[in-house]
Amino acid sequence: MSEAPPSLSDVVVSVADLSVRARERTILDHVSLDFSARSLTAVVGPSGCGKTTFIRTLNRMTELTPGLSVEGSVFYLGQDIYGASVNPVVVRRRMGMVFQRPTVFPMSVFENAAFGLRLVRTEEDEVDRAVTEALQRAGLWEEVKDELDRPALSLSGGQQQRLCIARALAVRPRVLLLDEPTSALDPGATQRVEATLQRLKDDIVLILVTHNVGQAARISDRIAFLHSGRLVEVGATVEILERPREKLTEQFITGRYE
Amino acid sequence: MRTEPVLSESEDRQPFPDLSRTGGRLVRWGPYAPALIPLALTLAVIAALVSASRLQNFGWGFFGFNYANFGVLIFVVGSLLTSVPALLIAMAVGLGIAVASATYLPRLLAAWLDPFVDLLAGIPSIIYGMWGYFVVAPYFGANVFPFTVSRFGWIPGFGRSEFSPSPTGTGLAMAIIILTLMILPITTVLMRDALKAVPRDLWESGLALGATRWEVNRRVAIPYAKRGIWGAAFLGFGRAIGETVAVAMVIDQAEKLPINIYDGTSTMSSLIIETIDAAFITNASGRIYLHFLTELAIVLLAVTLAVNVAGRWLIRRTYTEVAGL
Amino acid sequence: MAVSTSPSVAAVDDLTRDRSGHVRRRTALDRAIGWLLPLLFLVAIIPILDLVYYVSSQALPTFTLHVLTTNPSGATGGLYAPLVGSLAILSLATGVALAFGFLGGLATAEYVSDSAAGWIRVTANVMAGTPAIVIGLFGYIAFVTYFGWGLSLAAASVTLGVFMTPYVFRATDLAYASVPPHIREAALGSGARPLQYLLKVASPIAFPQVLSGVFLAMAIGVGETAPLVLTTTPVEVPPLGLGSPASALPLYIWTGYQSGYILPSAIHLAFEASFLLLVIVVGLNVLVRIIAARSRRRLEGLFQ
Repeated sequence: MSEAPPSLSDVVVSVADLSVRARERTILDHVSLDFSARSLTAVVGPSGCGKTTFIRTLNRMTELTPGLSVEGSVFYLGQDIYGASVNPVVVRRRMGMVFQRPTVFPMSVFENAAFGLRLVRTEEDEVDRAVTEALQRAGLWEEVKDELDRPALSLSGGQQQRLCIARALAVRPRVLLLDEPTSALDPGATQRVEATLQRLKDDIVLILVTHNVGQAARISDRIAFLHSGRLVEVGATVEILERPREKLTEQFITGRYE
Repeated sequence: MRTEPVLSESEDRQPFPDLSRTGGRLVRWGPYAPALIPLALTLAVIAALVSASRLQNFGWGFFGFNYANFGVLIFVVGSLLTSVPALLIAMAVGLGIAVASATYLPRLLAAWLDPFVDLLAGIPSIIYGMWGYFVVAPYFGANVFPFTVSRFGWIPGFGRSEFSPSPTGTGLAMAIIILTLMILPITTVLMRDALKAVPRDLWESGLALGATRWEVNRRVAIPYAKRGIWGAAFLGFGRAIGETVAVAMVIDQAEKLPINIYDGTSTMSSLIIETIDAAFITNASGRIYLHFLTELAIVLLAVTLAVNVAGRWLIRRTYTEVAGL
Repeated sequence: MAVSTSPSVAAVDDLTRDRSGHVRRRTALDRAIGWLLPLLFLVAIIPILDLVYYVSSQALPTFTLHVLTTNPSGATGGLYAPLVGSLAILSLATGVALAFGFLGGLATAEYVSDSAAGWIRVTANVMAGTPAIVIGLFGYIAFVTYFGWGLSLAAASVTLGVFMTPYVFRATDLAYASVPPHIREAALGSGARPLQYLLKVASPIAFPQVLSGVFLAMAIGVGETAPLVLTTTPVEVPPLGLGSPASALPLYIWTGYQSGYILPSAIHLAFEASFLLLVIVVGLNVLVRIIAARSRRRLEGLFQ
């Protein structure tokens, strides 16, 4: 396992010796990885390598699946999110998550974006402001600003996914977790989402699970390659793509398994 | 991620070879005919009722409250007075159970508890009536109703009057209670299905935003399942309106409107089954009474059909497998 | 180029600090609901247990073989006539329901176009929702009066059969329509004639589901009172033929209720009849579950 050491004060999320097991099967095997501010890390690997499980441990979504045991630690700004006095509700507010399919709620565009804000008593003009800002950051504002009350389900697939991003951003998380966010979108929509993610990089930590190496090449700063639950290699995108150090990595990147 | 009903996949089905060239019209249309049986039987039922009542012109009295004048409104109101409260309670309790089963309980526990609700559906109406009449009603008459009279008597309808509550405990309130139990399974199961059909990643999206399970239920899952929930309401209501025997046994049958909730009254269906003997008599008055009852049955059938069609359209799920649903 | 996140920022974002207590409140509410809502199951469980307990406790102490072999006479006697009547009516009614429901369901699943099938299924569902008392009235008008059968075994059976038809119809329809499409196409594609396909391929697969649907319809039919009240009369002897009146367990209970329970023996007999009815209903439901479990095991490979 190789990694370019980040400057320590930069680290937002730090995964330390993380293992996840389901009965006797090991899904993640002693993974350690750090994520710094203002970066986009692509987590790649063949199907079944554990990358989706990995990203779900970062916001404690693994607790929704019975039978999963999590060992090791995940530190957010130095605090273990699995600590005894830590409420998952709080953790999830710090880590936004976007899923594979656009999962807009059956309500208006505005209400979707405002969902997270409405869970806590917030002033109405504060809500307005936050929604506007979130939609702008997600690159959706221009397209919906005159029709904020229209049903979210009437948007196109790509717009819905950007709305999901806006919805996650509205509560100002430090980290955004994305699980193959463009796999259900057509190329045009995909391109727009990728552009949005690239812009967001200057602001927050983005962790992107993707099976699409091209996508990782286009927008990520760093690539982490998982295989069978182990972190095989991690490094700057250019390095991984052109000069991978491990054989497994090279095979995956090039698609040639000799 | 919602599973479509199996029957809507039939575009994949290769149709049977066209028989139009083999044999005469009988062979051609033969295999299709039996499919019309439900329609034929329903039409037969309607036809029988219409012809037997001869759509007797009972005049405007039919739409009035005077039973002696063949007014049916007492019974229509009676049916509503029993079915609407029963539906409201069954929906509230059923929604709670459905939410608990679909989102709170571990799957194994839910799998064990759910069949108990299904069991309620399998008990014959007459046994509900026996149990209601001999166990529940006396208990309520002795313990519950005196309490509600003293504590809640100030609410109109909950106070005592000359003959009610009676110590037997029968009356409108008891009919509502038993009816609620009888329609609880249909409301619960349909709402549980509707909630389970909420896509998993939609549910998780809510949680991932830092919402609690209850918040996701309230703001996302239940609104998403709205259609199915309304369908459950309609179908539950249809079942309640049509329920006859158990209601008749605990409602303290009386052809009048109730003075308070403990008083005896009648529904459309309980009237028919309790007074049908008068219609069996073959003299003139017996015949007229038969016409009256069959016209009442037409009203009952019309309401039931309308509500069931609406409910089925809302849930758009072809069949449910619980007994009797 | 990386700018460090200052320690003060990290301190502010303490995951365990809950400034206004709202996280605690929301979580507490969720947890409370998580305990309270499941308690609602008791609304269903307690009545069932109480009902079964009460019926059993009233019926079992005086339940002897004598009860099953003697005819009722007034407020005493036994349940022989109602029991035989119930079984007779049920068997004939099941026959009627099969004739109507099986053929109808089969035709809908296999022959009818998909759009028409949708409508037909709606009709079947709507028919299933028709109140039993209305079906009973229909039976009285059509069979007792118009066809002139009088209050008889025949009238009661056919009426109950009509009532049970939609359930058999639905079960058959579902059973045949659930035959996996690839099997259907394989059979027809290799040149089998429709009848052969139906007999040799589809029916063995559909049979368990049809059978359990029939048992379910029987469980519903055996407990129905209203259709019987209007088409037969509670005689105290078993029916001699189709034209003679037949009693039945629900009818017996209902008649007893109507004439009031002056003698305790009457109450016991009514509960014994209820108990018998429950046993039959539960027995049929258990059969349904057994069939479901066994056929699931046997047909597992088909639905890949």
